[in-house]
Amino acid sequence: MAALRALRRLGASLAPRCPGRCGPLISPRTGRPQAASARSLGTGALLCAARKFTDKHEWISVENGIGTVGISNFAQEALGDIVYCSLPEIGTKLNKQDEFGALESVKAASELYSPLTGEVTEINATLADNPGLVNKSCYEDGWLIKMTVDNPSELNELMSEDAYEKFIKSIED
Amino acid sequence: MVILSSLKNCFQLFYVLKISAAGFKYTANRGLILQSVSSDVYQNLAMEDWIHDNMNLENRQVLFLWRNSPTVVIGRHQNPWQECNLKIMRKKNIKLSRRRSGGGTVYHDLGNINFTFFTSKKKYERMENLKLVVRALKGLQPQLDVCATDRYDLLLDGNFKISGTAAKLGRTVAYHHCTLLCSADKINLSSVLKSPYKVIKSNATPSMPALVKNLFEEDPTLTCEMVMDAVAAEYARCHQIDHHITLINPADETVFPGINNKTKELQTWEWIYGKTPKFSISTCFNMVYEQSLLEVKVDIHVKHGRIEVCNIVLPEQWLPPAMCNELEKNLIGSKFCPSETTALASTLLRICPQNYELHSKWSLLCENVMTLM
Repeated sequence: MAALRALRRLGASLAPRCPGRCGPLISPRTGRPQAASARSLGTGALLCAARKFTDKHEWISVENGIGTVGISNFAQEALGDIVYCSLPEIGTKLNKQDEFGALESVKAASELYSPLTGEVTEINATLADNPGLVNKSCYEDGWLIKMTVDNPSELNELMSEDAYEKFIKSIED
Repeated sequence: MVILSSLKNCFQLFYVLKISAAGFKYTANRGLILQSVSSDVYQNLAMEDWIHDNMNLENRQVLFLWRNSPTVVIGRHQNPWQECNLKIMRKKNIKLSRRRSGGGTVYHDLGNINFTFFTSKKKYERMENLKLVVRALKGLQPQLDVCATDRYDLLLDGNFKISGTAAKLGRTVAYHHCTLLCSADKINLSSVLKSPYKVIKSNATPSMPALVKNLFEEDPTLTCEMVMDAVAAEYARCHQIDHHITLINPADETVFPGINNKTKELQTWEWIYGKTPKFSISTCFNMVYEQSLLEVKVDIHVKHGRIEVCNIVLPEQWLPPAMCNELEKNLIGSKFCPSETTALASTLLRICPQNYELHSKWSLLCENVMTLM
């Protein structure tokens, strides 16, 4: 448990490894969050939204004030084949860490926890008939909900992709 | 050796459950065996929720033993209309409940034992739990041919299901629970677990029907009490704790603060029926009215247990179209429930022309629509 806490603190000061990549919004020098300006990947007008992760294996990617939420590859593998996605109604208000739904897989019914505080603006309707999309494409087509970001500072409490990768390595040991 | 603590020990238990510091036996740190004194399914499910939400299971595991009076338990994302015969259940006073874990529909009565294995998420291991149960059973009766399948069922004689499994993964805690048929009423079981519907379209999780058997049929000396004790003993051995079963009362708010609210929630219509994934029933049925056979087409869509779309197509002019439209309009938004529909139909009947023929046609139609619920 202590190791996990240490990792989380460490996560905040990890420098991005690939300069061209959309890195975490953390200054490598101070370890403190930079002012919110996502580095774009070059071509296209679309801003790359850095994906952030929770310790419950959800991810959120914010673009134009709307966060898209899903579960990580680690989570979908751990869950096994997903047979049902129970998602909230549009308009549901969520506080950070509130339970917003559940995924049922061959393994168990697993609760989903909101990464941030906000309101649900959209749910992925294709999952009703195709819950397996979450396994096949957890970062793209298998997204779960979209929500507003009421407290952008909460994003800083989440893990960057690198920090998350280190986190899951530590739990696997 | 089993030492069943009385309810007086519940006060001690409160501290055991809540405080992780010194002041209680070392062995309670590593494991606890609890047995419910209640046979009320809602209270027992609430007890599971309470343990899941309140106990610190980082370094401790808990086994919870419970039995229920006759009830059908559906999985979190299932459709009760699809899974069981609600009409027979209402007639026989068999309760319906929805649990928070996934999986399929089961029938419980006092001849069925439920085991819930609580662990941290890390230590969640269903197969190990099932192997424990198998060892306990074989310890009682070495000739017993019982084994676990890769679907986490327990089979007797390779063919008959005696146990089904379901599980829930929460924030930091996980639980795996399973049933065990010792001496359950198989006639009740098969009559209530058969839905009269073939025409429901839904993406709710379906059950996998199976042939079942009771342990008692294999060996009449295997009673519920013996089996519960044997599993508790094996659990105690594996976790190196005292073979000590603590009796708990899931209605005791002083030991389990907040539990009565959980029990209430599990009994609400909104939880039991309202949590059903949306579904539709599109069917034709025949009605007999004064020696003529009439075909009625019904298309009903239900979301959160309430009617969202309702189309009833009758033979032309059999009933004034305005009456039929009134019925459809009023059903929308109401619960997909026979008692609510009866009330609605009676109200509507009062405001329509007092004509014997109309009234009897109306009653016939409403009765038939209600059989779908």
